[in-house]
Amino acid sequence: MINIQDMRDTARDLLTKNEVRAVIGYRRSSSGMNAEPVVITTPEQADELVWDPTCFHNLSLYLVEDRKFLAHTRNNPGRPIAIVAKGCDARAIVVLMQEHYFKREEVYIIGMSCEGSGVLVERKLAANGIQATNASFDGDDYVFTTAQGEKRLPAREIMADRCLECRIPYPREHNVVLGEDKTGRELAEPFAALKRFEERDAGERWIFWERQFDRCIRCFACRSVCPMCYCEECVVDSISFPVNAQTTAEEKANRVRWIERSAVRSENITYHLTRAMHLAGRCIDCNECERVCPVNIPLRLLNNKMEREAREQFGYEPGASIGAPALVASFLDNDPEKFIR
Amino acid sequence: MTKKRTGVFVCHCGNNIAATVDVKKVAEVMATEEGVVYSEDYVYMCSDPGQNAVIQSIKDNNLDSVVISCCSPNLHEKTFRDNAKRAGLNSFTCEIANIREQCAWVHKDRNRATEKAIKISRSAVRRAGRDQPLEPIAVPVTRKVLVIGGGIAGIQAALDIANAGLEVILVEKQATIGGHMLQLSETFPTLDCSQCILSPKMVDVSRHPKIKLMTYSEVKEVSGSVGNFRVNILQKPTFVDAELCKICDDCAAVCPVVVPNEFDLGLTARRAIHIPFAQAIPASYTLDESACLGLNPIRCGKCKDVCEVGAINYDMRPQTLIEDVGAIVVATGYDLYGQEHMNELGGGQIDDVLDGLQFERLCSASGATQGHVLRPSDRTVPKEVVFIQCVGSRDPANHCAYCSKICCMYTAKHASLYKHHVPDGRAYVFYIDIRSGGKGYEEFVQRIMEEDEAIYLRGRVSKLYRKDGKIRVLGTDTLTGQNVEIDADMVVLALAMEPSKGTAEIAKTLKIGRDKDGFLAEAHPKLKPVESVTAGIFLAGCAQGPKDIPETVAQAGAAAAKVIGLLSQNTLSHAPTVAFVRNSHCTGCEMCVSACPYNAISLENGKAVVNEVLCEGCGSCSATCLRAAIEVKNATAMQIHEMIEACLA
Repeated sequence: MINIQDMRDTARDLLTKNEVRAVIGYRRSSSGMNAEPVVITTPEQADELVWDPTCFHNLSLYLVEDRKFLAHTRNNPGRPIAIVAKGCDARAIVVLMQEHYFKREEVYIIGMSCEGSGVLVERKLAANGIQATNASFDGDDYVFTTAQGEKRLPAREIMADRCLECRIPYPREHNVVLGEDKTGRELAEPFAALKRFEERDAGERWIFWERQFDRCIRCFACRSVCPMCYCEECVVDSISFPVNAQTTAEEKANRVRWIERSAVRSENITYHLTRAMHLAGRCIDCNECERVCPVNIPLRLLNNKMEREAREQFGYEPGASIGAPALVASFLDNDPEKFIR
Repeated sequence: MTKKRTGVFVCHCGNNIAATVDVKKVAEVMATEEGVVYSEDYVYMCSDPGQNAVIQSIKDNNLDSVVISCCSPNLHEKTFRDNAKRAGLNSFTCEIANIREQCAWVHKDRNRATEKAIKISRSAVRRAGRDQPLEPIAVPVTRKVLVIGGGIAGIQAALDIANAGLEVILVEKQATIGGHMLQLSETFPTLDCSQCILSPKMVDVSRHPKIKLMTYSEVKEVSGSVGNFRVNILQKPTFVDAELCKICDDCAAVCPVVVPNEFDLGLTARRAIHIPFAQAIPASYTLDESACLGLNPIRCGKCKDVCEVGAINYDMRPQTLIEDVGAIVVATGYDLYGQEHMNELGGGQIDDVLDGLQFERLCSASGATQGHVLRPSDRTVPKEVVFIQCVGSRDPANHCAYCSKICCMYTAKHASLYKHHVPDGRAYVFYIDIRSGGKGYEEFVQRIMEEDEAIYLRGRVSKLYRKDGKIRVLGTDTLTGQNVEIDADMVVLALAMEPSKGTAEIAKTLKIGRDKDGFLAEAHPKLKPVESVTAGIFLAGCAQGPKDIPETVAQAGAAAAKVIGLLSQNTLSHAPTVAFVRNSHCTGCEMCVSACPYNAISLENGKAVVNEVLCEGCGSCSATCLRAAIEVKNATAMQIHEMIEACLA
């Protein structure tokens, strides 16, 4: 089991020795049980860091933000930035490196193994009638501090589906890692939720999705929280695109309006399916998009579908290796489609 | 969008389009489209009067772009673009709407086909509305040619090209050039000695000042495009200096390793150090590293000790040569479909069941038995020989669907050769039908049947097995309706031809396509039979499909003529419809770099850069890019978007 103090010591040490310019991690939020992202820059702040079942966030998003900020200010910091990363988060970092968004030496990965556990889902916790001020790991259980005292629940009961189905709960890419490698643990069958969904017939599924997308308000929270959605301009944006000094008049004139701005069914469907396609071979199932969705659209089903296709058709595992080519930019000699050979 | 003045010209293509599509209506509707100032229909737009009418309309109506609604752009895009240019337009503001192959020919309902033709034409109008005038890119040409494969096809192509004054690099995988033709005894229908007619050409190759011969070599990598390919050629070590080797055979005499001789298809044995056959080009021994007892460390070393001229050098290493060439001829030939596939005929496990090439080596004066036809198992003269045609060919259910084309003829030749060697023997030929199209071919087969008294049985053989020292052949004579049993001394299978081993690999290296049977695909089955689908790469010989020697020689000559024509120009014109990068959107993720089949994209300062000479405008990059940062000129996302909109409207 991971001792939180080890993580804090690691962060403190890195900052004391000036090996990194900041550490991206989690701290207790001021307003309740959940952790929230924090960027610390001094050794003294290391004690703020926490590690518990509410560390949902995929912090690699802040590596992207950091990169954008540096590009904007044309700043070359010299030293890397450290990040606390779960198995899934580390895979996201690998994908970003595959895409040359930053270099390996620019990031110091403090890997955190989820071991036999994972993050919880607030909805499932609420269903158990627990209102807690603190949550912590304890072996196969979660332990909560509530007004009625300490409560203990088996983690599997309120763990996120994606954690139950996770195949690699360990950050293979890391500079330092805490916790054991429990790859191969079986909490649930991979893609189990997707499989359950696919048992419905096609007509029923289509109606399901129409209803889901009817609710979408196109707040773009899913896109904003996704570390893979780092494009300066999203192809689905029709009007409010950033125009910089390099943008020519011709480029402006040739801007395509693939999707209308209004949040209606057809446009919403196009948006979400385009996003799913653009995440094929890149989504590492951190499922932050679904967690932040204010209208609870089950986006994981879409992303999982693409992930499973890539896995079954092409043996592709997103975020497996920095040197691997991108899924959509490579093809296999034994591709099942003859026309491509 | 700048206001365009587009003209639409709708072709009837005789009745090809007009029978299914109301072309007048298409022209009428197009006249009302935004940006269209002129529209008409005509019976044959591609005819001289049709083209002249287009020119006249461009001038009369001051058009700045044209859309021709006609057949596939594969056929007449160039015609109409050249025509637009003659009228003073930029040829890249001429677009083709394919209302024949993609509409008239695939539909029956006239109303709906007309509606679709209107949409296709409308989408081309919208595309033309955003077409930029573009100028072709001039590309300098390397006046040097790579020929891959040193069989008769490669030899002929190399000689023809070299005789035109171009430099040629001829690469052959084996230790000698000559290919399968070298293994043949006599050639149909004239029965002249194969080696006797081939070896002068081989000598020509070795002496030709313009031909650089690289045997025991393989093409490993090819980059670049028409006019400017860069190739990596791996030359394997022969461990014998060809300049010094006197072919005295002293080395082979002391070599302790005996392995099957592939030149005689295993009918004889050779040593680890060997020469494929006496007139090999280059005239030198080769040390087969895989058979040798050991070179590192040296385990034997006998050959080196006896070589008086010191030609043997164990320190030779593989060498990679990089060459720049302007064109490539692929003549990688065929192999026989393996006997192991033919389980019903013994699967290669029955003694004295030979394939056609083995029989050639039995008949050849330089072959396994010095030209005496003896059966391999006991070296007796076979008195009853059964020849079976179409083995593995024309059998879509189990083997190859295609006809291997030459087996009827060479089986007749085999029967004839056999009868000449063994006049009192009996030759049976099982056939499905006889395909003897070719000059003197039918007469040849008739002569074998009548004068040489070969017994032709129309039917298939169902089973072969050994019985009492003979091979029992169970077959059917479908003309008499009777089953036939023959106790043969020897059986010769006319096995199907298949693309030579390594064809798949070379096709991938060259990025040229293969057909469903694995042969290299020609660009057009009728009109571009020697061109591959990749510009600057040409095909010759059996790599493209089964063919006999005269056809192979003719095709090699045709490929050579194409190469000579191509390289007679100082510069080549490259289509300017290439990819371009929007730097503001490129994040340098390199997906386009790996998606590009032409290696045309590289990363400079974190942004994608397109090499316009290498780019073929296929759009793979554009389809891969998540950020729409790379697009193809005159096929931009905006244009595609508008075309889709036009189709859906």
